Amino acid sequence: MLILKPKIDFTVTVEAEITPELATKEIREIENLKIYYGNNVVKLNDLFEIKKEGDDKRLILDGDFSRVKWIGYGMTDGEIIIKGNVGTHCGSNMKGGRIVIEGDADDWLGAEMKGGEIIVKGNAANLVGCAYYGNLVGMTNGKIFIEGNAGSYIGEKMNGGEIEIKGNAGDFIGTEMKGGSITIHGSCGFVGGDMKGGEIKIKGEFELVPTFKLTEDGWVGDVNVKGEGKIKKF
Amino acid sequence: MHMLHIKNGIVIDPKNKISKEKMDIFVKNGKIVSEDEIKKDECKVIDATNKLVVAGGVDMHAHIAGSKINTGRTMRPEEMRVVRTIANKFRATVGRVLLTSPAIGYEYIKMGYTSAFEAAQPPIGALHTHEELDSIPMVDKAALPVFGNWHFVLKFVQENNLEKLKTFIAWALERTKGFGVKVVNPGGVEAWMYGGNVKNLDDQVPSFNVTPREIILSLIKATEELNLNHSVHIHCNNLGIPGNYQTTIETIKLAKGFENDKRQVLHVTHVQFNAYAGDSWRNVSSGVEEIAKTVNAMDNVTIDVGQPIFGHATAMTGDAPFQFTLHKLLGAKWSNKDSEVEGGAGIVPLVYLPKNPVHALQWAIGLELGLLVDSNKVVVTTDYPNGGPFTEYPYIMTMLMSKKMREAELQKVSPYVQKASSLPSIDTEKTLDEIVHMTRSLPARILGLPNKGHLGIGADADIAIYNFNPLEVDPSNDFEIIYRSLKSAMYTIKDGKILAKDGEIVQEHWGKTYWVDATGKVDLESISNEIEEYFGYYSVEVRNYGVEEEWIKRPERIVI
Amino acid sequence: MALKDVICTFCGSVCDDVQFDTENYKGKKFCKLGSSKFSKKERIKSPTIEGREVSYEEAINKAAEILVESKKPLLYGWASTVNEAIRLGVILAEKVRGVYDQSASVCHAPGTLAVIEEGLPGGTLGSVKNRADVVIFWGSNPMEAHPRHGLRYSISAKGLLVKGRKDRKIIVVDVRPTTTSRLADIFVQVSPGYDYLVLSALRAIISGNADVVPEMVGGVKKDTLLELAEIMKKAKYGAIFYGLGITQSRGRDRNIENAIKLVQLLNRITRWVIWPMRGHYNVVGAGEVPAWEVGYQYAIDFSRGYPRFFPNEFTAVEVLRRKDCDSALIIASDPVAHFPKDAVKHLKEIPVIQIDPHPNMTTLVANVIIPSAIAGLEADGTVYRMDCVPLRVKKVLDSPFWSDEKIIGEILRRVEELKG
Repeated sequence: MLILKPKIDFTVTVEAEITPELATKEIREIENLKIYYGNNVVKLNDLFEIKKEGDDKRLILDGDFSRVKWIGYGMTDGEIIIKGNVGTHCGSNMKGGRIVIEGDADDWLGAEMKGGEIIVKGNAANLVGCAYYGNLVGMTNGKIFIEGNAGSYIGEKMNGGEIEIKGNAGDFIGTEMKGGSITIHGSCGFVGGDMKGGEIKIKGEFELVPTFKLTEDGWVGDVNVKGEGKIKKF
Repeated sequence: MHMLHIKNGIVIDPKNKISKEKMDIFVKNGKIVSEDEIKKDECKVIDATNKLVVAGGVDMHAHIAGSKINTGRTMRPEEMRVVRTIANKFRATVGRVLLTSPAIGYEYIKMGYTSAFEAAQPPIGALHTHEELDSIPMVDKAALPVFGNWHFVLKFVQENNLEKLKTFIAWALERTKGFGVKVVNPGGVEAWMYGGNVKNLDDQVPSFNVTPREIILSLIKATEELNLNHSVHIHCNNLGIPGNYQTTIETIKLAKGFENDKRQVLHVTHVQFNAYAGDSWRNVSSGVEEIAKTVNAMDNVTIDVGQPIFGHATAMTGDAPFQFTLHKLLGAKWSNKDSEVEGGAGIVPLVYLPKNPVHALQWAIGLELGLLVDSNKVVVTTDYPNGGPFTEYPYIMTMLMSKKMREAELQKVSPYVQKASSLPSIDTEKTLDEIVHMTRSLPARILGLPNKGHLGIGADADIAIYNFNPLEVDPSNDFEIIYRSLKSAMYTIKDGKILAKDGEIVQEHWGKTYWVDATGKVDLESISNEIEEYFGYYSVEVRNYGVEEEWIKRPERIVI
Repeated sequence: MALKDVICTFCGSVCDDVQFDTENYKGKKFCKLGSSKFSKKERIKSPTIEGREVSYEEAINKAAEILVESKKPLLYGWASTVNEAIRLGVILAEKVRGVYDQSASVCHAPGTLAVIEEGLPGGTLGSVKNRADVVIFWGSNPMEAHPRHGLRYSISAKGLLVKGRKDRKIIVVDVRPTTTSRLADIFVQVSPGYDYLVLSALRAIISGNADVVPEMVGGVKKDTLLELAEIMKKAKYGAIFYGLGITQSRGRDRNIENAIKLVQLLNRITRWVIWPMRGHYNVVGAGEVPAWEVGYQYAIDFSRGYPRFFPNEFTAVEVLRRKDCDSALIIASDPVAHFPKDAVKHLKEIPVIQIDPHPNMTTLVANVIIPSAIAGLEADGTVYRMDCVPLRVKKVLDSPFWSDEKIIGEILRRVEELKG
């Protein structure tokens, strides 16, 4: 297990694609890991206090990581616990393992996720489980669970996997979705634009695009793309 | 006074009939000179012992600069995210198949190509095209403005006024600082302004009393009477439609009766996209056999291949109606740009998959063209980025030289190719000399550039040295070695300077921009009324239209 | 001859039929916006460092030092200068491994995101002038923001097939009546923020799925939508010009995406084009130049030595709001006047270099100030009109001030020296 604690207040953001794998390395290698501090390439221990306790694949990020980007990028297994807020692109392209964020997450949480689990105790921002610009497919597998609220652009171009938001969300839920499921316990804005498949369940208020057919099973559409996506209130 | 001595290279220089001879090449002040013009002890020496030495490659048709390409980049960050080199002494370069301007220059030069020609320039956007060309380092370049749907052209053809058409061509080349007469789906793009297209050479172009046949013939006549250095360069009607090979043959035959002792009178481009037989995507097959027969029997027509390379590509042409058809077929994103009363363009992303029967057939057709058409009449291109990257020219070159390599590749593609194309049964293996001709001396001759594509005295010192011995290596069997060597030149020399070494950039350099000035052969005043009248339909003033030489970094004017 | 033909360098219409009297410093034929640009205004008189007058060389040296020492310098503005300066600016941003962003990020960038998703089925202003018998202004008020656009290109312009105002149907879609809606043939009022739904409904109607569309969408009656759909289908050649009304309101890039999909659908029936009504005279250049140099139009980070595009974190507003830059170079722009308060706050806390002919709100927070020549009057260069048609603006007046091109070029040279 590896515990990292920021040494200073960062004047610009830090970019560090660290995964639980790091916890299995030798301490020297960990300390010398190259990360980006703006355009400066620095060592991990220049910016973080590092404590290694055994070899299991666990990363504890102790403190405010809201200015640290790309945590958990592409990780395949193990666990990351962030005892605070985390920066953008957390869990991007994740394939397996688990990330727990005790504070808030920033934009692009779980972007293009392929497996694994992300739990946010606080709020998430925009572009949750989405595809990067120009890519055709977003999240394909895995689970994202948000206790608080989320922003706009949720699960766009999703092909599989699950997103669940206990609080409210913004606009553009499941735009161009093809598969998978999104569940929102609170209210949200525009839902279902160009939806082809998959399922969205909403408990609170929402604004459906005017291109869905009402059936006994809920709303089916988007007719503009001959879609068979389902939207239900629960 | 910069001098080079390239020692003991094995030279292939088809224009000067040199075939695998061990000889020295001397360079002074950016030109190839004879030995008595240099002082051996003051030369920088390059030891090319037992290595292939040829002229730098000439890419006569690629989409490398202008609003089409830039809109392609803008709409495809998925392409631009691939990082090639990180900024250090030289620029960062990014791009998968679409590339940034610095990347284009660096990638050509690393491969041993030293000249590249922008295939289609929208005339009103000429200044943008030149800005982008001037952001491409290393290579010499030029751009071809597009004429086949320009209202001035349609008007003069309709009036049967050859003199005014000639005058207009000279005026247009001067204003756009363009290189030659490019024609794209003549009449068809004007028809697209009404939602349509043209289907055969005798369809009437909406609002005009002209047909594609008349447009093409008039432009050939005018180009020949002006005796421009490059011939009419045509992207045929009906591109991308099964059965279109017949339109291509009819178009090629329009060259009959014209004669030019220096070059072809018609260059037909990316013929692969216009070589389909059958009548639907279900029964499409290769129409190359008849096209090759026709081209081989004529001595005044040349073509280039337009080879698809498996992987990503972006379809971008001035053939706006075709691009819309492709958008509907693929369900992919689509950009379009109708341009004043001049023409249009369209952009659609694509992928060529080896197991897809149609893509595999297109791939086979490109290779058939390279194999069946006389080596003196066919140039290697991918119609970059329509067929794929220009960095895979070495793939095409080695495939044309090796039946064994083709057999291995045929195993990986859709079996549809076995019945729809004759590629599996073609035994032809082009020689290295022929391949050098098809990538150097032939395109230079087609373009009318006497100082390019060869290593004779007086030629520009654009030289590529490759790390293999053509006397020992057997293209039929050693295709891996040749492919790797051709991808990354041992030395690329441009204007006598070493710009790349073993696939690394050594020095940055800015090439020349060629343009053709035929104004001396016409009386520009004779069309001033028509220009003034028609500019009422433009959205800019005629005084602000066009590019001045001072705005181009290194303009090189070719006076006709 | 004191009266010179010039090209206006104010809004995206880039009118090239105007004239300037160099003796009396007065424009002719300009609209009121262009006139005000081409009239005498207060100038920054000298380069300064912390308020002290210095030479150009000293100011440029200081600017270079600041940029080289920064972990993440922001280089922002660019839309009101020429391509030649912008190109050097992009190369400079790459060299100092900072962030390049341009003014579109606060106006038309959502259109760029939509182009990435769907493409842009468009045409030049000349094709609209000659062919468009139906023109829709959606969230755009050209009579105020682009006063001569209608006269030259889209409303009363005389074209080849469309001879004038009488041959065109002008439709305005907006959240409230405007000067343009008052001269339009049809005005469709949409509830603020609901353009996205209205566009989806139109697509459904035009593709034969009118039955699912409810009686009221976004404050617009279904009957109105049916009528609008019919007009669009019957047009011979239609054009949608859209503006900040839908790029900067709820929905943003998805609004434009939806409008683009609508136009793509219409092209299966007849011919339609769509195009943004760009604000600054060279905001298009500020996007096109980096696209060919480094692959993207705005929000570009070079920290890792290569370009990366993330609008949510690398636009100037986001970089400043997130306190994610430690210096800024602001050229031909006034972020202090236009940016949200929390972004402006950070600008006050970091070293700022400003390059501009005229003092503005940003000048008050700048540490190094470098006065420049006015492009299109005192310096020439290439600009791209709103439809990406290139024009070369002129130098008709001499001035003691250096051009943007020269200033950025010298900063770049000094940076290269400092970096070794």
